[in-house]
Amino acid sequence: MAISDKDFEQLRDFIYNLCGMYFHTTKKYFLESRLTRRMEATGAKTCQDYYLLLKSPRGSEELKYLMDEITTNETYFFRNVPQLTALETKLLPEIVETKNKMGFRKLRIWSAASSSGEEAYTMAMILLEKRATLLKDWIIEIVGTDINETVIAQAKEGVYNAYSVRNIPDLYKRKYIREDNGKFILSPEVKKFVTFNKLNLYEDSKMIFMKSFDFIFCANVLIYFDTASKSKVVQHFYNNLQPYGYFFVGQSESLHGVNDKFKTVHFTGGFGYKK
Amino acid sequence: MDKNQMMERAEILVGAVDDLPTIPVVATQVIQMLDDHNVSVEEIADLMLTDQVMTARVMKLINSPIYRPANEITSLKRALVYLGLRHIRELALTTSVISAFDADSGAIELNSFWEHSFGVGMVSKIIAKKVGYEDLEKAYIAGIIHDLGEVFLSNYMREPFQEVLDRIKNHPIRLVDAEAELLGTTHCEIGLCIARKWNFPDVYCEVISFHHNPAEAQIDPVLCAIVNLSDLFCTVRELNYSGRQWISFNLGEEDAWNILKNESPALAKLDVERFCYELDDAIPDVKDLVSSIFNASEQVKS
Repeated sequence: MAISDKDFEQLRDFIYNLCGMYFHTTKKYFLESRLTRRMEATGAKTCQDYYLLLKSPRGSEELKYLMDEITTNETYFFRNVPQLTALETKLLPEIVETKNKMGFRKLRIWSAASSSGEEAYTMAMILLEKRATLLKDWIIEIVGTDINETVIAQAKEGVYNAYSVRNIPDLYKRKYIREDNGKFILSPEVKKFVTFNKLNLYEDSKMIFMKSFDFIFCANVLIYFDTASKSKVVQHFYNNLQPYGYFFVGQSESLHGVNDKFKTVHFTGGFGYKK
Repeated sequence: MDKNQMMERAEILVGAVDDLPTIPVVATQVIQMLDDHNVSVEEIADLMLTDQVMTARVMKLINSPIYRPANEITSLKRALVYLGLRHIRELALTTSVISAFDADSGAIELNSFWEHSFGVGMVSKIIAKKVGYEDLEKAYIAGIIHDLGEVFLSNYMREPFQEVLDRIKNHPIRLVDAEAELLGTTHCEIGLCIARKWNFPDVYCEVISFHHNPAEAQIDPVLCAIVNLSDLFCTVRELNYSGRQWISFNLGEEDAWNILKNESPALAKLDVERFCYELDDAIPDVKDLVSSIFNASEQVKS
């Protein structure tokens, strides 16, 4: 189903205002296909009907389904390349320098919605590559958390399909991935840097124990929270970062109106938030 | 490095080039004629029609996404009426700067140069509007010509400039800093020398010279700040000389941002993230515009 530019913009503004996820014009086709499925499921005949449904009291429930359509199956290794480049080129060296001055040679990274582990393991590979140079003699701790125990079990197993690994640069693939009968098995060398735990981001009593991170990643999760919950969760992330740490959200997400303590840091191809 | 020293060095380098391009006589005449308030659209159109290249480019620009006429405009006179006389200055200047540097033999391809320049022009106009700057066209022109010096470096100092480009490749070093270090001057001073030779109005000379340090500008720091921010945003959003420059910046720490916030306090509430996403959406427009200005044979894609 094709939607008009006007309908697209209306829907895009609505989604952005509600959950802080922005649809680029180039992603219109994508929204169209996902929208079609939801329209069929809800019996909405036109895009306008569906828009009115989203705006109705039942809308917040429906938005969750739409977001699921939009964000599922989206996780894979080396997913947000500009973010990783910024980390490698600038942010990691900066933090290593700061910590070297303090004689504190330990790096802590948190993948806060780790799903089946791709993001956490991507970080592990990148840092592992720097063990001989920048991170020589450093302790590296990467933590992945998710609310869903099934995906945590998958993450711990470390076996992936072709889709997940398609974006891994050859250099890393050769070193850390072994193919076996169409399955892609992660090397134990990478796995040992990462631990996975179940965690509900909304549970204050658990969140306060996630301390002293240098980098926190939380992609495509905050979109499911309302503004008040979002503020609360982001405040936890803020508190759990080192004073010089960085926080990253997903590729089209925004923290605007959610937290005014983080400073926006722009880099080629994206932006992140600095404490 | 001292600005005066860099200026001296720039004058030597620009002075050493015998065949420095000039901007078309017609352009200078048009710009001068526009200072006379009694001039008519007919007179301007007649003068512009004597330069076929300029006429053709004006027609391409007028039908581009920047101006978006409802129907395609096919006559120069109608184009001038549609735009109004104020905009003609802008077109005369930009089309002639394009003509002056259209040899694609430098260290950076012309397409990626103009994509950056027109991108900065368009984004400057958007920012100018947001801060309530009085002359949007001025912001647009300033954006287009801010990196004039870069074309000189790319065309006339190809090898040393290539070294600069190699130095910044995949490193978080700003182009302007690498230039100062390796060339002893930067595109800001070089651009200023050329703009003076071409008798550009002072306010544009200042933008060319101070678009990396707007706080030092005297005539119009707000305009310099607009172009500075626009340049930063374009550099991090794909219009970065085909990915040659990798930069990062903390918006709150930029002088330009603080200059503009003083000018327009509402800016503090700007949804910067959304602004960036909207810029991403504008990028295809900029690329279309640039490829429409240069015909297919002039396009060299890297």
